[in-house]
This record gives sequence, structure tokens and C-alpha cells, in this order.
Amino acid sequence: MKQLISIEINGEVHELAVAPQDSLLHVLREELGLIGTKKGCDTGGCGCCTVQIDGRAVYSCMTYAMSVQGKPVVTIEGITENGQLDPLQQAFIDAGAVQCGYCTCGTIMAARELLATVPDPDESQIRHAIAGNLCRCTGYQKIVDAIKLAAANSA
Amino acid sequence: MTSSTTSTTVLGKSVQRPDALDKVTGGKHYPVNVTLPGMLHAKLLRSPYPHARITGIDASAAAKLPGVKAVLLPQDVPQRKYCPVYFVPTLAPSMVQDMLIMSDTVRYAGQPVAAVAATTAAIAEQALELIEVDYEELPAVFDADAAMAEGAPQIHEGAENNIAVNPVVAFGDAEAAFEKADHIFEGVYETQRVHTCYMEPRVCVVDSDTGGNLTVHSSMQHLFGLREKLAFVLGMPESKVRVIKPAYIGGGFGGKLDIGYIEPVAALLSLKTGRPVRIEQTRYEDFISTTRNPIRVYLKTGISKDGRFVARYAESTLDCGAHATHGAEVINVHGMFGILLTYPCPDQHWEGKTVYTNNMIGGGYRGYGSPQGAFAVESQIDEICEELGFDPVEFRLKNSYHQGDPHPFNPQAKLDSYRFQDCLTQAAERIGWSSRKAAGSDQGVKKRGIGLGCQPIWVSGCVGFPDIYEHSGAIVKLNRDGTADLSTAAVDLGSGQITTLCMIAAEELGLEADQVRMTYADTDTVPFDAPSHASRVTYSSGNAVKAAAGQARQRLLEVAGGLLEASPDDLEVCEGMVRVKGSPDSQISVVDVVTRAESPFVVMTEEGPQPTNLEEKGTIIGLSSMAPPANPSPATVEFVEVEVDTETGQVKILRVVFAHDLGKLIHPAGAEGQVEGGFQQGMGYALMENLLFDPDSGACLSSDFLDYKMPTAVEMPPKIESIFIESNEPTGPFGAKSLSEPCVTVPAPAIANAIYNAVGVRVRELPITPEKILAGLGKL
Ligand code: FES
Ligand code: FES
Repeated sequence: MKQLISIEINGEVHELAVAPQDSLLHVLREELGLIGTKKGCDTGGCGCCTVQIDGRAVYSCMTYAMSVQGKPVVTIEGITENGQLDPLQQAFIDAGAVQCGYCTCGTIMAARELLATVPDPDESQIRHAIAGNLCRCTGYQKIVDAIKLAAANSA
Repeated sequence: MTSSTTSTTVLGKSVQRPDALDKVTGGKHYPVNVTLPGMLHAKLLRSPYPHARITGIDASAAAKLPGVKAVLLPQDVPQRKYCPVYFVPTLAPSMVQDMLIMSDTVRYAGQPVAAVAATTAAIAEQALELIEVDYEELPAVFDADAAMAEGAPQIHEGAENNIAVNPVVAFGDAEAAFEKADHIFEGVYETQRVHTCYMEPRVCVVDSDTGGNLTVHSSMQHLFGLREKLAFVLGMPESKVRVIKPAYIGGGFGGKLDIGYIEPVAALLSLKTGRPVRIEQTRYEDFISTTRNPIRVYLKTGISKDGRFVARYAESTLDCGAHATHGAEVINVHGMFGILLTYPCPDQHWEGKTVYTNNMIGGGYRGYGSPQGAFAVESQIDEICEELGFDPVEFRLKNSYHQGDPHPFNPQAKLDSYRFQDCLTQAAERIGWSSRKAAGSDQGVKKRGIGLGCQPIWVSGCVGFPDIYEHSGAIVKLNRDGTADLSTAAVDLGSGQITTLCMIAAEELGLEADQVRMTYADTDTVPFDAPSHASRVTYSSGNAVKAAAGQARQRLLEVAGGLLEASPDDLEVCEGMVRVKGSPDSQISVVDVVTRAESPFVVMTEEGPQPTNLEEKGTIIGLSSMAPPANPSPATVEFVEVEVDTETGQVKILRVVFAHDLGKLIHPAGAEGQVEGGFQQGMGYALMENLLFDPDSGACLSSDFLDYKMPTAVEMPPKIESIFIESNEPTGPFGAKSLSEPCVTVPAPAIANAIYNAVGVRVRELPITPEKILAGLGKL
């Protein structure tokens, strides 16, 4: 049943035996110990599990692990380089956008796709980019502020 | 009157949250991440029927499935009836003990009937399918009125007409007062079932040792409540249960304020297998575990010619579902803080009924009964003002309590720091209240309107509630590097309890905020604390932290006094130094004092070995365990501007101005965050959220976020403006009182009233969907 696959996560190639029904989220958390990616629903409704695949922000709970062969995956653990936070991570801290933080990593990954494609997004572009990332704590206001701040700091 | 607040150096600054860095880099410390060697995974089999008797269970095939390590059936489970609510003693007389971990009678669709522990969650899931359960279906009822009617199915033995509790509260003589009223208004206001929607699911890992001791990790809001309830249901001494404090959890909002089925089931499976057992709920399981109870309120109000409340009569019917759980207390908080105490009225009568149905069980949720009450009271005030031509702001100003009045809930105390009038006038000015138009008078397809909702009286904890725990404790210990460790049982739900409490300790100790660290705690190592609920942590735990830090500070000054040859009373601590007041040259660093207190008897100095004295020895530490002195009331006002599309019925929120009287503002960004997040929850309640059930089968139809709609970043207004009105609460830590819950309570009535002002449509049933607005406009 299980099949050996090779997937690239945060620049590292992993050989793994996965079952056809295993989600990428399951493999990240249970097989690879990459617990920064969170499960809020497992049904494609919350966005806590968002990662980047080929640069696109994707729900890892709705992605079969087998389907990401040959497509580089980036998770929250992969965006801090040599101890240097990604501008979005720093901005989320500085703008006070983190409360319980359970949504935070997924939202940062969604915003990362936005800033890579639209370096200077307006408010509406920001809000639409994270519309698939639910947050129950912040009302999104400081999350939007953080994304604006990250865009300004990266300019 | 900011000038009257206590002057502070650490408090009042938006310092960086100590947990933020960890959370943006992956958040290692959520309970959902806990794994232990040899850990098993368990799953619960849940009943498809809303009301049934189990006549037989055959789990033999499940037990034989490779990887299955244990099966738990109703006959394996202690049959001790309990109330799951954390903040009351298990056998509190005001609550109802009507639950069992597993029973041979099922009272709602989704109630657990068996459990399996296996080496993987997938195997456990597969095993559930092999369990054969024979059910004898019983008639079920899903509506509170139908449940009270004659001939309705009896849900619990002894609950006459399926009423779990039936409180009545009266002041004066309402009946006689209505005779004298110049105007009488009445209406029925209904609210729906909604979920707190914390993002981290309820999850636990329970381990046992050969002595039968349990160690528990869980995503929950109360260490000691979990210990007490778990020990009770398993019939164990409390000292055999150790609950580990999570560094933080992924949201709670009241939804993790009771023991779930998962902790006792995991404990029993762990005791059976000798291995740690983990259970994580699916979102569907979370949705049917705890909700805000729907309440229908009949409200009748008598008004004098000059616009004063003269009489109030209300009946509230709460559908608690299959078990009373929080419903036995929510009804009381709803009656008192949602209706009776909101505005002074001399003659009042209220009756509440918490009614069993075969719906899912209820739970705690921010506001705890007051959102359901405020929707009725605040909507009706708007109706009264509209009909009699009063200005809604003036009307409330005329009918409110004032600073210095006796506290309506605890009359031996006074409303010392109460600033409701300032909240009203400042927020009214900010939103531009004076230019508000008459209802429905805006032109065009899209009409704008402004509305107002208030919560005049709320709590800072539970002093004055007869059956509810309200004490806190803390340990503050100074380290030789000049930092301090704080440990308390207060759980950080995300709303910043760690930050606030560390700031309070730092302020008292004369340290910087980042020099105080919240450390490990469990039920074996720290004093009792009531839950993180009831807007209590800043005030109540804050007082305990300040007391413990004060004790540590006193000891620091005593030791420093010996070294500086000064009386401790003449010393002060600031910027990491202990100084003689008025003689800045006579000083010693905190590091040196703490090091000296923990040094061996002889210390090496440049002049060679020097003896020290025994009196100065010992870790510099402070400990507190205490009840707070009072329960001061904050006040809250919110104005909302909406735009209603009269073609589609869609409501857009344009502006929100929120004013809150919170005593001392401790962490401005954190306080704003509470308000902004609170608005998201209140707006969802007002406009869209609704946990739907099939009225015939009782099955949950909103089993995930695709079917349960809550506001996303796109629907939210561009800005929520917070006005924090400071004052000095004399019983609070550095003048602080509470903030958290009212910001969730006020949005629904403010939005409902704004919609009325925009289009002249009064909707008395939440959520206010486009269909209801179009129906009100005569377009459906
Ligand atoms: S966990 Fe993937 S969308 Fe919720
Ligand atoms: S910070 Fe708690 S869900 Fe977003």
C-alpha cells in the first residue's frame, strides 16, 4: 500500500513511505516532525495548515503527499534563514498580530505568496490573500497591519 | 482623567509579547504537539441517534484488529454523575450533576458510546467501524418549548417538564410598578447556537504510572478544574492527578472551560494499557462539544413619561441540550448581568428556565449569557427611543449607574472606578452621533445607519457568586542574573495573560518587562488559581502576582538594606539597582543582592575571603495565594456604522467605535487586539454564525468551517477604533480591572440597531441574515 516517494521540503530531500491517502499535512507533522504547520480542521476550511508549494500558498491538509513529488515545499520552518526571521515573521511580532498564534504560521505562509507576487499590495489585496486563513483572536486588523509593515520593510 | 491613574514605568507600554517569537517560528508548545514515547491514539465511537438505549455492544472484532491495544465500553467506566464545569466544585449545589463518561442511555446524536486505543489514529478509527452497537431508539425532542410540553419525552429522570434549573429573581414589585408605567414595551428576542471556534482542537495526552498516578496534558483553560473533575469522575484522590500547564493554548474563549469526554477516556485507556494515550477531536467533534446556548427572551419594560425605567419583567428560556453543564450557570449570569443589573430599575421580575432537549450540550463562551441578554435589552431600548422620540445616548445616560453608586451585584462595594458616561459621550462624539439620520431616511439602494449597544455592568472575576471559585496564587523567584521567574496556574489562551502578568510582576519588582519570565507550572508545584475566564486574570491573578512580587521585593530590600546599612523602608528598586532614596550613590545591583543571598557563607572578594551573615541567606522568593478584594465592574459602549444593500440584504460594517472603562491600561496593543478579535466574534454572532442541526434527526449539519461561516479578513470592517477610558480602580493591581468579554457582547445589538437605523427593519432573531432583512423590507 505504502509507496516510496521523494519530496523536497525546505530545500531538503526526504525519502518517505507514504500511503496514497496521506495528506501533506500528515506527513509534515507526523512523519517529519515539522509541527509548525497546524491542523485546525483537516477539511480545507481554516488555513492553519497553509504551506507554499512551488511558491503557491496551499492547504496542506487538502494536498496528497504523493502529489508534491518534484515540487518544492516550503513550511514555516523553512523561512528563517541563518537565524534571521522572514520580514513577515518580524512584522507579525512588531505589529502585535499574534495572539493565540495557532493561525499565525498558516497566515504568514499565505501572505508570503502575496508579497512574492505583489510587493506593494493594497489593503484589499492583503485581505483577499488571507481570506482563506481564519483567525478567531485578532479580528485580522493587526494581521493586515503586519503584512503592510512587512511589505514596507522589504521595499 | 488619565491623571488619576497610578503612575507606572512598565505598564502602559506595548512591550513585545514573550510568546510571539516562538509562535511566528512554528509554535512548539501547543498541547496539540505533545507526544510521549509509546503513545497510543484513541478515538471515540459516537451515537448516530439523539435518544436511545444501548441494548448490546460487541467490540470483539475491534479488539482483535492488529494495533488495537484497548477498548473502552460503558460497562468499563465508573458511573459517577458529574458536572463538567471547571470553575465550580464538582458537587456544587447550584449546578446539575447529570453526566457520565459513558452511559447506556444516549441523549444526543454524537454522544460517545465506546472508545478504542491503538498504535495509530487510523487503526483506532478503523476499529470503531468494527464495533456493533444495538440501539433501542427513544422518542426525541429538539425544541425547548416542545420539551416542556406535556407528553414530551423525559430526558433525565426527576427533571420535571425537562427543566434542569428554574431560577427566579425579583426586586421590588414589578406587577404594581407596571400599573404606574406611562408606556409598556414588549418583545421576544432570540439567539442561536454558536461555537467559540478556537483554532486549536481540544486535545489531550494522559499518561499513567504503575502507582496509578496520572499526568495530563490538555488544551484547556483551567489546570485545577481539570484535576478536580478528572479525579472525581475516576474516583481517585486529587493528589494522584497531575495536570501540566501548557505554555499556551490555541484559543479557548470559554470553549475549554469544562472537562471533555476525552480526558477521562484517555485516562482510563492509559490505566488499562500502561501507555500514554492521546485523543484529538475533529472539528466536527469540537462543534458538538461546547457552544453558546441559544436563549429566547421575552422582555417587557415599563417606562415613565420622562424616559426612565420603572418596571421590567423577563422570561428567558435556554436550550441546554442533553445535559445541563454550563447551562445551569449561564442562565443566572444572563439573568443578572444580561438583564436585571444592566440599568437601574427599581421593580423587576425575571424567570429563567434551562431546558433539556436532545440537542448537543452547551458550553461556556465569552460573555456567558450576557450576549443573549444584551441583544434583548439593547434592541428594546432602541425600540423605546424610536417610539417615544428619545435620543438613545441621552436615554442611556439618564438611566445609568454612576461612579460611587453601590455596586448593583455586590452592594457592600461601590462603583469606584465606573466611567460608563464617559464611554458613551466620547464614543458618540467619535462616531459622529449628532449627525445620525432618522431611521430608513438614507437615500439610494445602499443605505447607511448608525447603532449603539452597551454593556453597562460586567465582572472582573467571580467574587460575589456563591458557588464559583475565585482565588489565585503566584510564585515569584529572583535569579542571580537579575531576572525573575513567575509561575502561576493561570493559562494563556492567546489573549496575553503571560504578558500582562509578567508586566505586573516587573512593575512591582522594579525590573523591565522582559526580565520576568513565565515558567513551568503544574498542579503539584503552584498554588490554586481559578480558570482563565470571567474576564478575571488581569484583575484577580494580577493581584496575586503583585502580592507575590511585592513579597519578593520586600525580601530583596531587606537583604540589600543589610548590605547598604540602610532601612529597607528607605530603599527603592529601579533599573536593576536597589538605591537609598535620595542618595543615588548608595546603591547595589539586584544581581549582587540576589547572588549574595544565595552565596555560601564565605565569599571571595578582592580583599580576600569575607564572611557573610546567615540572616541574608535564602532564595529571594515571594508566594501568594489569595482571593481578590472585590469584583469591580467595567463598562462598555460600542457604536457601529453599517451599509445595508436593500436589493440583496447584505450588510457591510463600515465603522466601529468601542469604548471601555478598564481602570489601568496595561498593554495597549494587547487590549486593542482583544477588542478587534471580540468584534469578529460578535459580528459573526450578529450576522452569520449558526450551528445548524437537522430538526428531525438532531444531527449536526455544520460539521466543519465550510458549513459554519464566520467573518474572514474580507468581511471585517477596515478599522475598529478602541477608546480606553482609564481610571484608578482602588482594589485592582495598579488600578486595573477587566477587559475581555464585553467586546463580544456589544456588537450584536449595536449592529441590529444600526441596521434598523439604516433601513427601518427590526430583526429580533439572530443571526440577521440577508433573507431576514429582505423579508423585513417586504421583498421576500
Ligand atoms: S487544517 Fe487545513 S484548512 Fe484547516
Ligand atoms: S491568533 Fe488565535 S486564531 Fe489567530
